[in-house]
Amino acid sequence: MTAKQITKAKNIISRRVGEETVVIKDDGLSLYILNKTAAFIWDMCDGQFDIDEMVVKICERFEVTPEEASEDVKKILKVLTKMGIIK
Amino acid sequence: MLQAELREESRTLMRKPREQEQKKLPEVNSIRLQIGDVCCAFQFNDDDVYNRLREYYSVFLTDNEPDIIMELEGLDRLNAEDLGKAISRTKYIHDGKNNFETSSKIMSGRYNLLSRFIKITGEKKLVDPQSKLNHLNRMVSLAYYTACKVKYGEPYPAMLVHGCGILRNGHALIFTGPSGAGKTTLAGLCGEQDGEVINDEMVLVSRPDAANKSVTVRSSPILGTFPCQRRVTAPLHSILLLKQGEKTSSRRLNKTEDYLRVMRQIITPAYIGQMNKRAIITLIADFSVEIISSIPVFELEFNLDKESLWKTVAEVEGTPHKEVKS
Repeated sequence: MTAKQITKAKNIISRRVGEETVVIKDDGLSLYILNKTAAFIWDMCDGQFDIDEMVVKICERFEVTPEEASEDVKKILKVLTKMGIIK
Repeated sequence: MLQAELREESRTLMRKPREQEQKKLPEVNSIRLQIGDVCCAFQFNDDDVYNRLREYYSVFLTDNEPDIIMELEGLDRLNAEDLGKAISRTKYIHDGKNNFETSSKIMSGRYNLLSRFIKITGEKKLVDPQSKLNHLNRMVSLAYYTACKVKYGEPYPAMLVHGCGILRNGHALIFTGPSGAGKTTLAGLCGEQDGEVINDEMVLVSRPDAANKSVTVRSSPILGTFPCQRRVTAPLHSILLLKQGEKTSSRRLNKTEDYLRVMRQIITPAYIGQMNKRAIITLIADFSVEIISSIPVFELEFNLDKESLWKTVAEVEGTPHKEVKS
């Protein structure tokens, strides 16, 4: 996954519910719940942020070191990719 | 600190009402049902079935101009046993040109949304209230959403929600949950002093009012075990998600849990010929957000003790509970 290439899949519908985000595949068969942190990263999956920029944003929002943020961003992006909801 | 939790759930989100049917006939055998803000006309070619349907839906009859006309031509080719077998293997096949048929040959039809007309030909037992194999609830649901589509477009002003509606203290409560959660059981525990059962199967729930977020519940002609005595319209107080247990108590859930559990009880808002699942899921997703943002949702665990049940419901309502004399 390289810079500016992280985007949401087209076959999903997402809605913010409280602090979490519910992501539904449009076949109606799969549903995922993203907690506050995952939802924050999810919101940045619009083709405008690369991983480094996401890490910066995470550090601005949460009290974490760049190393912790980087590790989490990579981990979450990997999971979201595996779910098939980002590409 | 940034431990992200990602929960995955693979479940079917789209709940379908029972099933579907058809017939045809002269205008004289026509009934018009008022379903929320739309009127659906059904025409039949069988006098006996027509009369039974007229009685079955008597509470919802109207003289209003129909928004959709469904002409049903009943055939009597299969006995109940053969029809039951055929239903179990039925798949709907659309040709993409406003025609459909079923793999089991028990039903076929055509439709034209511009002229607001649906013609269905099929086994008569599918629309006979006396038949255990009837698919009336699905037929009415299909007619309702089709009428909404042609009259309003999307989103619809109200959606069908799988739940038991009870009128109490001038407002409505919706008790909902998956099949077997206890909706009909709860309706059976509702005595005259506890409230009035609006419908133990399905109610119409409006989208929240833009100004004050109020939501309205109305009776629907999608009937369960309890007969519908009259048409009711009432403001929705709260939604209670049923869970049968050892004790009776209520509790609030987090918003996500509210959302997921309410969403699964919304009847698939599909009009005839609707094959765009994304549009359907979008309607459900948006409606669910609107509802849980406007109306409190509780989980109600209950046993069969009537007294503690209605006492707990009264606590949810925030109104004093009247002691019941046995």
